[in-house]
Amino acid sequence: MRGVIKGVLAEELQNSLRMKKAYEKALKGLPQGSLAVRKIKGQQYYYLAKRVGGKVKHFYKGKISEEEKRKYEEAKVFRAKYRKLLAQVKKQIRFLRGSLRGKEAI
Amino acid sequence: MEKKQYELCLEILRRFNKADILKHFILIGSWCVLFYKDYFESNDSIKYTAIKTRDIDFLISAPSKIQVNVDIPALLQDLGFMVIFRGQKGYIQLDHPDLILEFLVPEKGRGTNKPYALPQLKVNAVALRFLNFLTDSTIKVKVENFFVAVPHPANFALHKLIIFQRRRNEDKAAKDRSSAVEILKALIEKGEAQTIVKIFASVPSKWQAKIIKGLEAAGEREILNILSA
Repeated sequence: MRGVIKGVLAEELQNSLRMKKAYEKALKGLPQGSLAVRKIKGQQYYYLAKRVGGKVKHFYKGKISEEEKRKYEEAKVFRAKYRKLLAQVKKQIRFLRGSLRGKEAI
Repeated sequence: MEKKQYELCLEILRRFNKADILKHFILIGSWCVLFYKDYFESNDSIKYTAIKTRDIDFLISAPSKIQVNVDIPALLQDLGFMVIFRGQKGYIQLDHPDLILEFLVPEKGRGTNKPYALPQLKVNAVALRFLNFLTDSTIKVKVENFFVAVPHPANFALHKLIIFQRRRNEDKAAKDRSSAVEILKALIEKGEAQTIVKIFASVPSKWQAKIIKGLEAAGEREILNILSA
């Protein structure tokens, strides 16, 4: 029979699995790629650096609006944040699964 | 992990305070026990009383009094909180690896199993019975340069003794009972036995019976003697 602590851990595992799904979905929903800027004759031209088939490719975007720039910058910040949190959640899941495997009814 | 959780909890409170909505919230659940540490300053063990899970609950006693519009999911998005819809009715909770945020309102009338909409906050809340008991008496604890409302420890403990018997989850029920008993003991040690008696006397007799039943199940003779004196 499972004790109080294992009950709490089981609930935490369910929460963590839900979180993992949510972060993976959020990462998929972010615009892909990051902006790279090249200065040519004093003008700034933007390229979208994206991984395609394992290789990083640059797609010409030309001059882009401040709003679009902000969108990609924001996506970059959120991508880093979500990746870090996803790694944390995966670590939690491994720990919780390990703890729940124990035979003690704690 | 605990320090990170605590820092995140503080950041949530700071943001709610800055957005001028914290004054409408009462922090309840196991996290409010942490903020009792100043109230029970001579009792160091109280902060270890509640096993803190990731659940952090905010009770809104008067949702209609919230006049400001604050998009809470957007406010906390950069901290890594994700909006999760739970169950078929679509209860919203804000999930993070370290904390899960939920909003609650006191259930009125016959009750409903639908979420209570909070459009001004862009979230919804769970309506639960007996929560108005927590709003009856609150204390304000100082956190940095602002105040957070939490239920009076006696109301918190007696509320736990009422609700633990309704829990389907045995583990949560045991946790509730245990934290209720520890807080009542801390209040008695602080010399507030009469406060417990006064609040106990103010609740309906059906609730009193539930509290007595809960304490009998826990074998807490000393507390039972105080309540029956």
